[in-house]
Amino acid sequence: MESEKDKTEFWRWLEYHSVMPGKDWRKANVITAGVDVGSVGSKAVVMIDGEIYSWSVLRTGSNSSDSAKKALDWAMQDTGLSLKDFHYIVGTGYGRVNVPMANRAITEIACHAKGANYIWGPSVRTVLDVGGQDVKAIRCDDTGKVVSFLMNDKCAAGTGRGMEVIADLLKIPIEDVGKVSLSVTEEPEPVSSTCVVFAKTEAVGLLRKGWSKEKVLASYIRAMAIRMSELIEKVGCEKEFVITGGQSKNIGIVQRVENILGVKRLPVPNLETTGLDPASAGAIGAALFAKALYEKEKHR
Amino acid sequence: MASEIEVGTKYIPDMSKTEIEDLRKQFTESSLKVIKDNIDRMKKSWPNRPKEMEYFDEISNLFGKRQQEISEQKQAGKKVIGYTCMFAPIELIIAAGAIPVRVGSGWYDSAKLGDRIMPVEVCPVIRSTVGAKMVHLSPFLELSDAVITPLTCDGRTKLSEILADYKTIWRMSPPRVKDDAHALQLWKEEMMVIKQKIEELTGTKITRENLKEAIEKLQKATKAFRRLQEIRKGPPVITGRDAMLVNQTSLWDDIERWTQKTDELCDVLEKRVEEKDYATYPDTPRVMITGTPMIWPDSWKVPNLIEEANPKGLLAVDEQCSGDRILYDPVGVDEWTMSDMLNAVTERYLMACTCPCFTSDNGNEDRVNWIMDRIKEYKVDGVIYYVVRGCILYAMEYARIKRVLDRMNIPVYYLDTEYTREDVGQMKTRIEAFLEMLEARIDI
Repeated sequence: MESEKDKTEFWRWLEYHSVMPGKDWRKANVITAGVDVGSVGSKAVVMIDGEIYSWSVLRTGSNSSDSAKKALDWAMQDTGLSLKDFHYIVGTGYGRVNVPMANRAITEIACHAKGANYIWGPSVRTVLDVGGQDVKAIRCDDTGKVVSFLMNDKCAAGTGRGMEVIADLLKIPIEDVGKVSLSVTEEPEPVSSTCVVFAKTEAVGLLRKGWSKEKVLASYIRAMAIRMSELIEKVGCEKEFVITGGQSKNIGIVQRVENILGVKRLPVPNLETTGLDPASAGAIGAALFAKALYEKEKHR
Repeated sequence: MASEIEVGTKYIPDMSKTEIEDLRKQFTESSLKVIKDNIDRMKKSWPNRPKEMEYFDEISNLFGKRQQEISEQKQAGKKVIGYTCMFAPIELIIAAGAIPVRVGSGWYDSAKLGDRIMPVEVCPVIRSTVGAKMVHLSPFLELSDAVITPLTCDGRTKLSEILADYKTIWRMSPPRVKDDAHALQLWKEEMMVIKQKIEELTGTKITRENLKEAIEKLQKATKAFRRLQEIRKGPPVITGRDAMLVNQTSLWDDIERWTQKTDELCDVLEKRVEEKDYATYPDTPRVMITGTPMIWPDSWKVPNLIEEANPKGLLAVDEQCSGDRILYDPVGVDEWTMSDMLNAVTERYLMACTCPCFTSDNGNEDRVNWIMDRIKEYKVDGVIYYVVRGCILYAMEYARIKRVLDRMNIPVYYLDTEYTREDVGQMKTRIEAFLEMLEARIDI
């Protein structure tokens, strides 16, 4: 095993893929996929008759269309599925126009709302999607339709990419940052800027001042959580509240946002048994739209 | 005691002639590229774009035919009077035989240059105009013998003193409250001062005859303008961007020729209504834009994104001083006496204006009413509230407008941006998500 000392890429998170056991796509009437090419992660979800069949999550490379292909290939791996078996594919995310096999592109905002509605049911009203390079606060109705939304500024401030940079700087594996940030006994002041560039400089300064890694991390994550909470408050937080996107796994963000807003998010389902992954909510939504669009076009 | 501060040393630092010339060339080339790109994109979105649009394409070239014409007329002895916002009385300029041109600037490159002396908090429309002045980029500003600068927002107020290092500046102070007789009286006095200045510059007295003629010219322009706007209330026989281009060219074109060309375009469009020859699907979500002016050519960024989006949007109408507000209101004269005409001009440029610089206990209610009316008349599905960073007055009025629109059950999206192309990807996502939302509503 790689020792802590040898590890150099602390930002590098684990890629994963899986197939739901006991399901046979050959018996399905409608096979669709959603491919969400984000700025940091690419996600693919395959659905058979509107139910999750397989999925994959991997890092987005320098080329969006390659990443889209890789994600879908990985979700199809060992299933016997090939591209020609799909009835409809929807691309979403920042690279949505560069998903070569997609029949249509839909924004990740609509897809995350739809996906959240599928994962948690019709009671969801507010979705916080924390992606690689932006944060979106989305309000939706009981069918998962977007009612209003807000998006952060044009930089990576307070997002997954910012988190990666800080993890690397502090030499803390990205999977652990949330937990480690919660190990402080008292919440420190938030860093004054969540801008990745400034925050990095500020973090270095704090370390020199003698702050522990944990405290610096807590300070950065708290600043991110405050920014996200402001966005949610602006759009109006109505229950039920959920968090999607890669940062939904970051317990340091989640708990702080919950504390600031005074609202608990709905619990995350077990991925292995349900296939429901908040990080893939966009791809799930896209696969659902794909099914709806396929059926609509068939009936025409 | 005379001021020790020399004119020319106040804001803009000295730049070498070569630097100025290099930047001017570079910005001009880049602007010509943007102009061409915008027109190409408009053509692509509207495959059956009528040839009557080509005239406006030509006039839209800020460094082309129209610049040439104005320089020639200037050489022949005509005066050019620039203005930075829509409070300037065009009728008086035309009556005195001068050429009116709006000089607000929409260049992103020059906004970046303006950053050298203006902090980024300042609205980019101002920074861009300052930057344009630094390298003599704006043909119309350079050609101006004097510039009318209504002191409407803080940016334009300070802009007037920056430009004063180079140009004869005529300030006008519009009252911030318009609904009392006192305000109208103040504004009338401002109008009379400007009238006198125009007369002095041109050496032409504004008379009953030439003022009547000028008012009638503009009334005809308003008629053509309204005809086009009326067409836009129906099925989409013209894209929003093309209509915006027609509207905006009126700011620097010869107004009589513009009127004629707009009428010719309307003849074609009215026929297309009958033939059901549409520029886009009739069920395309109809979007209204309100907020900061979108100045040709670089600020076509958002209109391009809306009308090229997936799903597509149609810019059905706007509430902006760069669009629907330019010529919508005519000067209404009861009797063609000098005093009646001057009163009518005064009223038109104050009472009809919905600029957010106005205030009252009931807020800027004319703007609120205007927006509500347009939403109904143009069957608007959703509103994009467009604000460039630093445009404080529009940014502040959003909260009120949003409440009104919420009550009307009209979705509104606050789109804040900058004079930059860097945010195009993010803008696209925001705009498309908003249009998806509208489309989903229409589906129901």
